[in-house]
Amino acid sequence: MSADPQKEVHVQVWDAPVRLFHWAIVILMLVSWLSADQGYMRVHLWSGLTLLALLIFRLVWGLIGSTTARFRDFLHPPRKVLAYLRGLAGANKALFAGHNPAGGLMVVGLIAVLLLQAVTGLFSNDGLRFHGPLALLVSEETSTGITGLHGMIFNVILVLVWLHVVAVGFYLFVKGDNLIFPMLTGKKKRAHVPEGWSIKLAHPLMALLVLMAAAGLVFWLTV
Amino acid sequence: MSDRPRSALLYFACVTLVTAAGIATAMTFRPAFRHQVLDVLGLADVPQAAPGSFYTARVAPLFETRCNGCHGDKMDRGQLRLDSFALLMRGGKHGAVIAPGRVDGSELFRRITLPESDEQAMPPSGKPPLTKDDIIVIRLWIAAGASGALPVHAIKNAPKPVVEIEIPQSDPVQVHRQRAPLADVVRQLQVRFPGMLEYVSRDSADLEMNASLSGGTFGHAQLREFLPLQDRILRADLSGTAITDGAAPVLAAMTRLEVLRLANTKVAAATMQALAPLKSLRSVTVTGSAVPPAAVVALRQRGIVVYGSDDVR
Amino acid sequence: MSETIKTPTQFAQLQAQTRRQFLGWGMGGLGALYMNDAMAAPGHTLDLARNPSTPLSVLPPQIKSKVKRVIYLHMGGAPSQLELFDHKPMLARFHGKPAPEAFLKGKRFAFISGIPKLLGPMFPFHQAGQSGAWITDRLPHLEKSIDDLCFIKSMKTDQFNHAPAQLLVHTGDPRTGHASLGSWVTYGLGSENQNLPGFIVLISSGGITANAGKPLWGSGFLPSVYQGVQCRSAGEPVLYLDNPKGVSRAERRQVLDAVEQINRQTHREYGNPETVARIAQYEMAFRMQLEASEAMDIRREPQKVLERYGAQPGKTSYANNCLVARRLAERGVRFIQLYHWGWDSHGTPTDEGLNVGLVGRARETDQPTQALLADLKQRGLLEDTLVVWGGEFGRTPMWENRGGQEMAFIGRDHHPSCFTIWMAGGGVKAGLTHGETDEMGYEIVRNPVEVRDLHATMLYLLGFDHKKLNYPYQGLDQKLTGVKPARIVSEVLA
Repeated sequence: MSADPQKEVHVQVWDAPVRLFHWAIVILMLVSWLSADQGYMRVHLWSGLTLLALLIFRLVWGLIGSTTARFRDFLHPPRKVLAYLRGLAGANKALFAGHNPAGGLMVVGLIAVLLLQAVTGLFSNDGLRFHGPLALLVSEETSTGITGLHGMIFNVILVLVWLHVVAVGFYLFVKGDNLIFPMLTGKKKRAHVPEGWSIKLAHPLMALLVLMAAAGLVFWLTV
Repeated sequence: MSDRPRSALLYFACVTLVTAAGIATAMTFRPAFRHQVLDVLGLADVPQAAPGSFYTARVAPLFETRCNGCHGDKMDRGQLRLDSFALLMRGGKHGAVIAPGRVDGSELFRRITLPESDEQAMPPSGKPPLTKDDIIVIRLWIAAGASGALPVHAIKNAPKPVVEIEIPQSDPVQVHRQRAPLADVVRQLQVRFPGMLEYVSRDSADLEMNASLSGGTFGHAQLREFLPLQDRILRADLSGTAITDGAAPVLAAMTRLEVLRLANTKVAAATMQALAPLKSLRSVTVTGSAVPPAAVVALRQRGIVVYGSDDVR
Repeated sequence: MSETIKTPTQFAQLQAQTRRQFLGWGMGGLGALYMNDAMAAPGHTLDLARNPSTPLSVLPPQIKSKVKRVIYLHMGGAPSQLELFDHKPMLARFHGKPAPEAFLKGKRFAFISGIPKLLGPMFPFHQAGQSGAWITDRLPHLEKSIDDLCFIKSMKTDQFNHAPAQLLVHTGDPRTGHASLGSWVTYGLGSENQNLPGFIVLISSGGITANAGKPLWGSGFLPSVYQGVQCRSAGEPVLYLDNPKGVSRAERRQVLDAVEQINRQTHREYGNPETVARIAQYEMAFRMQLEASEAMDIRREPQKVLERYGAQPGKTSYANNCLVARRLAERGVRFIQLYHWGWDSHGTPTDEGLNVGLVGRARETDQPTQALLADLKQRGLLEDTLVVWGGEFGRTPMWENRGGQEMAFIGRDHHPSCFTIWMAGGGVKAGLTHGETDEMGYEIVRNPVEVRDLHATMLYLLGFDHKKLNYPYQGLDQKLTGVKPARIVSEVLA
């Protein structure tokens, strides 16, 4: 850190755990999709369990993480979200260091849907040689029903991901605000951050601890 | 930033184009997706199989019992459904599974003929397999053009269909109701003649009587007591009883009689003549009775089996 | 005790009533409750509750049945299908050649080891009757009734030793402790004749009964009153049934009355329904003293009938047993089980040679079996009697080489993969051949029939859904057909 942080061109907006979480989710979603498509069910199982652990971690990190990781930072009342969306068409001057109100909604939506997908996966079966780790706790009929749900939620995820990518593209090409770069490096141009704002970082060790606890919980639940 | 609306327009035009291209690509390479989209747009082609077709009579039932658990309305493994002709012909995730006229080119046929140990074999290991005859039926149908219209008798050399026996679920309340009008009579006779009168089954109000174990103590007077049940008795075993031709009117009154056993009794030709009006009669046993062979000719002509008339002792 | 209960029997009956029976009996007023009870148990059990003092009383079948009684001709030791009914000309062509590797890979045999030779059929075959069914020249009598037979050439079992395989055929399970076919049938239907056991067992062929012994006709977990009663065609029909010398029937009656008093006392104290069953069994034995001797006495048959069967009164023989079987069928006995041992044609001693022992067994059984079929038919009994003939498994198309050695006599090893049985009589399609083995007679190629499928089919002919004829024991609703799915072989039904 240099002597006067206010003079720097870039400001840190994302902590490392959030960024790692984001890109890990991207990779795991692709792995889950391809493995299910190609019938590699062992791979699908482990990528799903990892996803579940990460999602649990993210929920906790949303309570105790760095400023921009917390839900209270990006959860806004619907009225405010609508106002923000309306403002997008014009010259919206409001600045957000972390997720903007629309982005926050997207994050919560994606987490919720992915969580649902991971949990339904636990109870699913492929009707052949494979079933999720908790599928035997419910009747075969229930499991088959849940499997149908698991398939449908996937379509919802596809739509949400598409929306997400289109929105990011919108910021990049239309508004000239690159959101991808900060998610990689953690830093944003000072001009895109409210005056005088700075992040309160949570301890990375804490993140590790929470992640291990989440992994432990998933392991205990399923293995 | 005055040009923002224009660039937004440009951007969303691009997004629409890319999305459309994506959907088009998916529709090309994912037939199942193509069908989903066409279904939503109401543009899907839904061919129907005819009611009397070979497909409906012989092929569809095989899928129903062996495949539709995983490839049906509850589950569509591999996005393949076999629960209707249209869905079967659409195929699954990787396209058509039936190549009309080409058995070797049909993925479905390849899968069902793989050895059980093969990962791709269908039905998968552990599930009840298709029989040799089932496979022949499917092969003949594909070879004949995999049509939904081809009549069932058009394929001559098809193996006989397998009939699975369904045992009807009886309705105790209904049975009780049917039995009720004569239930008291039946009960009284059952007490008076233990073991001689019983319902033909649990789901029926019809009866059968067996006096053969009572020997000579059972005669006309006793038989007459069963007259109130004349329309209910389907089977009467009077072998070894004391009845003679004098019982003929009572027997002739048992209009629904199917089986009549008169072995080792003194009945003769007159009783055989009296049986003429019994429409349901299937078999008569006269072994060891006084019935001469000539007396049963008429019965035999009606297709009734007569046992023992040629071997009178 | 309430004063309205007057006799010990009434009391015993009341004691034996279960909730299910109570609800069942009260169907008029308690219909809703009954339905509730029936719904609560999915695929529920058929209610076979009886008055415990008449455990063999007739109950109607579940559905209208074609068959009233069964005569089961068990050929112990497993007769060779390749010598009797399963015609394999291709096997004859390859006679003496070493068995192909595919026959041996991953297989276990009772005695064959190394690479055995193929063994062609020992006797010429020909087609017979209207049906054109194939048959050996060793069964010239049976041939006369061949159009009454329905062959299943694709029977299979998973047991290759006699005792477990016989248990599987007779009780639906290769271990002891299960109820036999005859027990299930008498449990389900009762018996028409209350003065004779409902399930009678007749054994021929010397000292050997059956490898698995009496459990073959045991009642297993069913009440013991439904077990098979072994009767003899020579001497006293039922051992220890006659009164001892110097004891009159009146004296026997007095003894029984005294014993009954004691049994009632016991029942009052312990309330075990088996005690009531025991009283019933004593009473039946007393009635049997008169009826059994008469039923088993083939001397009462005319000479020409004896000749037709080849029966000789006073001896123990399969022929006598066949004749007795007919007499019992006429007298309303529900299940008549014959055992004839000696078909285990390994080729070790002479009598186990296909060329000697099997020929002898064929000769002993050929005429009586046909006589039984013809006699039943002539008396109109075949239309509601089911006759089943068969062993416990089949025999290999390979020449047995016990320990890799050539055998002194010609034989075949045990073969569970396929065997032939036939059925005749009520409800089966006469003149039909169902199922098919490959050209060497080694594996089934069409329409395999498991033993449990045969059982399900027999029970269906008797008017039962094999799934509903069950009995709760050790936490499972026990069935003759076990827990694996069984199929009613509709193809063989008339």
